[in-house]
Amino acid sequence: MSIFARIRRIPFWSWLWFILGALYFLLPLYATVNFSLRMERDVIGFKAYVRAFEDPRFLETFLYSNMLAVLTIIASIILIVPTAYWIRLRLPEARRIVEFITLLPFVVPAIILVFGLIRIYSSPVTIPFTEIKLLQPLTTFEVGTDILIVAGYVVLGLPYMYRSVDTGMRTVDVRTLTEAAQSLGASWFTIIVRVILPNIRAALLSGALLTFAIVVGEVTLASFLGVPAFGPYLFLLGQHRAYEPAALSFASFLLTWIAMGLIQLFTGGQGQTTGAH
Amino acid sequence: MSYLSISGVTKQFGETVVVDNFNLDIEKGEFVSFLGPSGCGKTTTLRMVAGFETPTSGKILLDGADITDKAPNQRNVGMIFQSYALFPNMTVAQNIGFGLRVRREPDAVVKQRVEEMISLINLEKHANKYPYQLSGGQQQRVSLARALAIHPQVLLLDEPLSALDAKIRISLRAEIRAIQKKLGITAIFVTHDQEEALSISDRIVVMNAGLMEQVGTPFEIYNFPTTVFVANFVGSLNNAPAEVIEPSRGLISIDGVQFESAVDLNQRRKGDKVRVAIRPERLSFASEQKKANVVDAIIENITFLGSVVRIQVKIGNTKFNMDTFNNPFLELPKIGSTEQVTCSREAVLVLDE
Amino acid sequence: MAQTALTQKKSITLDWKRWIGVFPFFLFAILFLILPSLRLFAGSFTGAEGEFTFANIIQLFEEQAILDAYWLSIQISAATAIGGGIFGFLLAYSVTVGGLPKPLRSALITFSGVASNFAGVPLAFAFIATLGRTGFVTALIKNLFNINLYQQTDFDLYSFWGLSLTYMYFQFPLMVLIMAPALDGLKREWREAAENLGASTTQYWLRVAFPVLLPSILGSMILLFGNAFGAYATAYALTGGRLGIITIQIGAQIRGDVLHNPGLGYAMAMGMVVIMAISLMGYSWLQKRSERWLR
Repeated sequence: MSIFARIRRIPFWSWLWFILGALYFLLPLYATVNFSLRMERDVIGFKAYVRAFEDPRFLETFLYSNMLAVLTIIASIILIVPTAYWIRLRLPEARRIVEFITLLPFVVPAIILVFGLIRIYSSPVTIPFTEIKLLQPLTTFEVGTDILIVAGYVVLGLPYMYRSVDTGMRTVDVRTLTEAAQSLGASWFTIIVRVILPNIRAALLSGALLTFAIVVGEVTLASFLGVPAFGPYLFLLGQHRAYEPAALSFASFLLTWIAMGLIQLFTGGQGQTTGAH
Repeated sequence: MSYLSISGVTKQFGETVVVDNFNLDIEKGEFVSFLGPSGCGKTTTLRMVAGFETPTSGKILLDGADITDKAPNQRNVGMIFQSYALFPNMTVAQNIGFGLRVRREPDAVVKQRVEEMISLINLEKHANKYPYQLSGGQQQRVSLARALAIHPQVLLLDEPLSALDAKIRISLRAEIRAIQKKLGITAIFVTHDQEEALSISDRIVVMNAGLMEQVGTPFEIYNFPTTVFVANFVGSLNNAPAEVIEPSRGLISIDGVQFESAVDLNQRRKGDKVRVAIRPERLSFASEQKKANVVDAIIENITFLGSVVRIQVKIGNTKFNMDTFNNPFLELPKIGSTEQVTCSREAVLVLDE
Repeated sequence: MAQTALTQKKSITLDWKRWIGVFPFFLFAILFLILPSLRLFAGSFTGAEGEFTFANIIQLFEEQAILDAYWLSIQISAATAIGGGIFGFLLAYSVTVGGLPKPLRSALITFSGVASNFAGVPLAFAFIATLGRTGFVTALIKNLFNINLYQQTDFDLYSFWGLSLTYMYFQFPLMVLIMAPALDGLKREWREAAENLGASTTQYWLRVAFPVLLPSILGSMILLFGNAFGAYATAYALTGGRLGIITIQIGAQIRGDVLHNPGLGYAMAMGMVVIMAISLMGYSWLQKRSERWLR
């Protein structure tokens, strides 16, 4: 056999990088799980998990975060799907502006966004450099704060959600589908509900799962806006307890894994990437 | 002593035999085509000559030297890929000069050779363009120049025209053949398009499922196919099962209708089952000129194909296609009528079942 | 109202009607993205009395503490971008061109999808459990090599290098997710053509593969830079605000006006946005270059 073929047989360096990578990624997970199982002295047990899940505030904040996630997903879909559809069908000129806007959240990370949101909506909204009042402060109402944070999450998820929906629409060629449906006599409502939405289901699901993963663990917006979400709860827990935070951290990793796994399932491997928080 | 000798080459992937006992001697300056459907092993054989696959058994000799186990970058063969494979980060000139630069040839030599090659393919005005700025046909010509720049001993072309438009395909294949003849370089051309192979090759190797079906000149392959596969694959063909009636006379019967064939049937016995093939263009109407075989035929359908008119007829119980050249003054028979159709004894090919 | 896509060319006078469909989106963007950003922008030019001034911007460049914060952030972001970029590339290489078995590739890509999301508080806790004072690996090193990490070496998880190491957990995967498709885009025929023309593996990589991949690699590294630069939660959860990177400073400013100058706080935020914008432009430009070649 030629020398070339022989070298190809054993990719030594590839194995090296991969093993180093695996070590780096798996050790912290192992350390977390290991630690979380040792709450009872000398016993490997799930006490930390039991304690963590039994804490009433866990359930409160976890449910609250889930609710926020659901609201964010719904709001995103209502906002983005018609917009993406409209642009594809009638207003291609708007595409560049809209895509630019969906890139802005990258330039305005969470900490900056929350800074701006708080400053604007915690005082009466005025036109800069003047005294003209437009709105009473949102942050004084609890519902107002909820609205703020959901809006903030929608903004943070904008790049991924929009791209997901847009790609989904491009893949199924909504323009042709619409024209076919119109030629068969369907009304606009029928078209959107019975033709478009079902066909972008995979994109919607993938965007929704990604949003879910982002929102449930989110800390920056939640803590600065003072909402009883899971992220701040976890952080606070870490100040006082040792084992329960480890248990919840591992649990949240598993949760993210399941969400991502579902995305892979629905999109056949075309998953999306997000970044740090 | 032949220039390129492929002897007893077999390639197996696990249990699957992809190339089975390939034997071919190619003379210097010869243009040989490997012709066959997808998966017949033609590309694999080519890649073994190039060195991208290693034969499971057999030898490949180039100008006397055994190159069977040599690494691909140690052989002196030039390869043209179906997808052009031009380096996207280099201009036309840089692409063509790549092989020479890798051999650390002095700048002056590289420059001169690149200029030579560029004028050979007539792309002087595009020397500093990048591949994405060129059309498919232009990219393939650059690919040709790049392979020729290193003075290869053999040129290997892997379906180079399949990705191009029909018109470009025809002009480019003529260009390739002209350059090959001018430089006198040995070439192997892989294709699934029989018209391509017929029009430019010195010899054709027809392959099927890893086996060599037939080797011969285009004329031989088309007019005297030795197997059913070759007859079917090359050109269009009528074929039907038949029975031998009288071996000494070459008489066979297609479902009751008798034909006399010029093929030597003395090896066969009466009652043998065979396959009979007749080229559509060898059938004609007896009203024009009577040949050895005359039979009755019912006209079923007439299709106008441009320069050719195809008439579907039924002889006995078997359907046949008749091709005749288009002619504005052609009088075509009515559909449903019965006409007399004739063909020569040589037109009736008898093949193994 | 319901004009079909085909009749777009008409009605220049009815132009506004076509833009109705995107109005909700624009309204939302204005309310919750553009206005907040403008507020910060305007605020950075506002002085103590509410007057228009450049003083805040100037102070950005003069105040040592602020410059230090920016510099620290840039250093961490650059370190994790380069480190993450190089090792992430090697990982992506190993499962694509590098020839490892296909299941390993799926495993790495799936894991990267999850890990690139695993940031913030859980990640910090995970690393504390690993390399903290009583961490698993800390103990392991003590038992195996008899080295007490925190006493005998300079290592401290709650420092620059500790945070960088933690950031890698989402930087590596991000690089892998971007580079794997790019490496796939390296056509097999390029390598074969290069070999056929006499090039060795090294020559192929030097002359063809790396040049073609370079825009992708650089673009991804810039993306990694931006990613680390804007990170807040992980840093805060890990170091509790001890490490003075710019996001932490801004966080402190939001909570209570520690700078005693709201305008300066806004200016700091705008400075961040400017740096992120420059990274984004760099990334976009490199994306376009790489798409041209790796199509």
